[in-house]
Amino acid sequence: MLIIFYPLFWIIMNSLKTSTELFINSFALPEKPLFQNYIDAWNMGFSKFFFNSILVTASSVAVTVLLSAFCAYALARLDIKFKNLILYLIIGGLLLSPHSALISLYKIFDALNIYNTYFAMIVPYIAFRIPFAVFLMYGYFKDFPGDLEDAARIDGCSTLKIFMRIVMPISKPIIAATTIVSSIFTWNEFIFALVFIESEELVTIPVGLSRFRDALQTNWTGMMAGIVLASLPMIIAFLFMSKSFIRGLTAGSVKG
Amino acid sequence: MNKKKYFNYFYVIPAILFVLIFVYFPIIMNFYNSFFRMTSYSDTKTFVGFAHYIKMFNDPIFYTAIKNNFLYAGFSILFQVGLGMILAILLEGRFIGKRIGTFFRNSLFIPSIISIPAVALLWYFIYNPQIGLLNGMLDLVGLEQLKTAWLANPKTAIYSVIMMSQWQYTGYIMVLLIVSIQKIPKELYESAVIDGANEFQKAIYITIPSIKSMLAVTTIITFIGSFKLFSEIFIMTGGGPYNTTQVLGTYMYRAAFKFDEMGFGSAVAVIIFAITFAISIFQLKSFKTT
Amino acid sequence: MSKKVLAILLVVAFVFSSFVLAETVNLKLLHRWTQEPDKSFFEEVVKEFEAMHPDVNVDIQTVSNDSFKEKITVMLGTADAPDIFFTWPGEFTNRFIRAGRVMDITSYMLEDGSMFEYVGSQLIPFVYQGALYGLPYRLDGKVFVYNKEMFAKAGIDKAPETLDEFMEDLEKLAALGMKPIAFGNERPWAVSHYIAALNQKSVPEDVWEKDIDPAVGTWSHPGYVEALHIYEDLVPYFNDYTNALKHDQARVAFMQGQHAMMYLEIVEIPEIGRNGPEGFIDKIGAFPFPATDGPGNQSYLVGYPEGFVVNSNTKHPEEAVAFLKFLTGRQMGRLELERLGWFNGIKNLVTPDEVKPIIYETTQLILNSDRMVNWLDSSLHAKIWAVYSVELQKLTDKVTTPEKVMEAVKKIATEVRKEF
Repeated sequence: MLIIFYPLFWIIMNSLKTSTELFINSFALPEKPLFQNYIDAWNMGFSKFFFNSILVTASSVAVTVLLSAFCAYALARLDIKFKNLILYLIIGGLLLSPHSALISLYKIFDALNIYNTYFAMIVPYIAFRIPFAVFLMYGYFKDFPGDLEDAARIDGCSTLKIFMRIVMPISKPIIAATTIVSSIFTWNEFIFALVFIESEELVTIPVGLSRFRDALQTNWTGMMAGIVLASLPMIIAFLFMSKSFIRGLTAGSVKG
Repeated sequence: MNKKKYFNYFYVIPAILFVLIFVYFPIIMNFYNSFFRMTSYSDTKTFVGFAHYIKMFNDPIFYTAIKNNFLYAGFSILFQVGLGMILAILLEGRFIGKRIGTFFRNSLFIPSIISIPAVALLWYFIYNPQIGLLNGMLDLVGLEQLKTAWLANPKTAIYSVIMMSQWQYTGYIMVLLIVSIQKIPKELYESAVIDGANEFQKAIYITIPSIKSMLAVTTIITFIGSFKLFSEIFIMTGGGPYNTTQVLGTYMYRAAFKFDEMGFGSAVAVIIFAITFAISIFQLKSFKTT
Repeated sequence: MSKKVLAILLVVAFVFSSFVLAETVNLKLLHRWTQEPDKSFFEEVVKEFEAMHPDVNVDIQTVSNDSFKEKITVMLGTADAPDIFFTWPGEFTNRFIRAGRVMDITSYMLEDGSMFEYVGSQLIPFVYQGALYGLPYRLDGKVFVYNKEMFAKAGIDKAPETLDEFMEDLEKLAALGMKPIAFGNERPWAVSHYIAALNQKSVPEDVWEKDIDPAVGTWSHPGYVEALHIYEDLVPYFNDYTNALKHDQARVAFMQGQHAMMYLEIVEIPEIGRNGPEGFIDKIGAFPFPATDGPGNQSYLVGYPEGFVVNSNTKHPEEAVAFLKFLTGRQMGRLELERLGWFNGIKNLVTPDEVKPIIYETTQLILNSDRMVNWLDSSLHAKIWAVYSVELQKLTDKVTTPEKVMEAVKKIATEVRKEF
């Protein structure tokens, strides 16, 4: 317990100090808490990183969940040829490591003219999350009872209407779980953002944070404040929704 | 009716296109690229056959990298699965109350949802020889002689990075195992109690055998995770000191984006692909049995 | 119903869609300063320029220092390449020139005589095969900055000029019970500056010039080993954990008075003024790397200007060059000095009484130097530097010998030569 918390406590404490205090004694409590470091970190780029992270996460997760729900539903419930082939093809994507696609994706994005734009993050995030999302949802859709759908179909509803009005509402738990897992992945993703984005103006929090340190003149305590700022949103979300988090992450058993 | 059936395909086409174009195609292209010499700022491509692979197999840093990936996997399985299992059994056993159990579980889980760069930078500060927490602690308990520049000392650097990951992920694996333990039917334990089994015997004879398949799954995902290693190394050591902490991910990045040898980088990516794909097949099989 | 599906397909199509065409002249500027006060300086330059040229719109992009070298290489290969970009002159820029990515601006500079506004020695680094490709944004050079009080305490009355004097002074300072030299080499560009100075002093000029060219360099001159022997002698005077500390962490220790001197870039001195303890900047002096008895020229200074160049594929060469001249010209040079404390390459930018003595002095060192010697890390082929830097870190840790270091460098140089 101490091993988990003391490092977190230590960094929060030091993020409230002046640089001189930090260098003299990193164990002492700050003389008086200095929230200026947080303001500095925020102004030195964190406001932008946050905006970028939210934009990229929200759009890629929304598209991922929507497309995967359609796909998983069709594969589980509708009449389509080559169902198994398509299912294996998509879920097979889970076996492929993003690292192996990195260099070619860079070439492709360059050719498509979307290198160094938000799309260079959003597109691969969607592509690499769909297999996982389909995998989670397919199992769920496959299992639920068909009576409601049948009733609706007899009433003359189209498949899309059935999907929107009946299937989606009762699938809330799995949609929530998929959304959470995809959000954690996207929010924390590093290597694609590192390689596909050049401009400081477009980077997300993880890359922004790592570049923070690199400038010749490093603001150490501001950096520590940055670490805390970067971690807080996920921790807060977790504290409020720990059950959904755990359900989502354990259902998939795949590490970020 | 026919028209409607045709319409059904629209549900699956966007997802298929995404996966085909941005997952499968790049990986196939990567195989192809590994046989060419090319740079990012000019458009020429020269066919070099297996030259990149031959060069890689003759490069000692390549073997350091693979060795580090395996070392990382070994420690991660030992800590995350081994220690994670012990913690899971303790938290689910009768040793502590349910409330405290949940509290401990959630606390241990927290590091795994913090982004890797944030955790890596946190530990980068912890390992700092002058202001770092670790050397400071050693001073406090009178073990000054153990103080070192953790990330710059070739003897300690890779282990320092490995230990950070254990801090981050043990709780995550533990939670996976807890979920699995909770699914064990209570009757099994009740009959064991009637037979006079103590907590330790219950763990050995009931809990562990019942979560065998989950243990297999967590072992495999930990293994695969070890070969996707990149950000931790990139941020904490950049592969140094003296390339002793290179792993396949950083080795590939270095070739492709530092030395501008995209073809050679692709060849390294093929090796990463081969290893993770092979292990993933195992994972798929174990999914089927659970 | 199918409208909804269409809408979804449109969303997907949107993802692939490319850019909207612009009406005014859009220029992209790429620089590498992600933090204040530099960032707002560039914003101000752009604002002023746009006010003078209402039809031009300049977008600023930034990539931080440590990743800049990798990123610019990649970026120039893409359609998103900037029109005007920061670069380090020398081999780093020359390879882009060879690949036809950098515009020759000679005629633009001669046309209106603006070439003669600049200090000649600071334009030379931007010349490649007789043509001018860029303009200096800030001058830089490497000097030992020392704490005058500590030198006085150790009984040293003047800055050392030769290596022998330097070693004696180090001994005197060490006798006060300290490590005299602050040095953070976690990123080994720091050690490269020492070695650039020592190589240049220990090896004849024509030899090191040839060795820097990856197509022919052999690195077989014994002077390189000699240079490392001198470096080895300095190692005991460095602070502990050299390879574990970042350059700026060591600088903090120097500013706090834990060490007597540090090998610094002249451009760091204004930062010491801004971030150091009150009055610290008035207590420091500077001297160039002491002379050795090697065969190299002893009056050269390590350091190179940094500058900007124009992309040869730019759609608006006139406007891009105009911006380049504006950014590196007199008016902005004054502003740069005022805001950031740096000099650009314009002649007679200030009178001595306008700036702190230490800043004027060190800038004169640059302007009076017979020749500037490029930073080692940016002048070497990336693969040679990768090996060289690892070996230098080992040497700093005392786990290898100068002879072994150069064996490794020779081996990788041979491999690299084959690629040309």
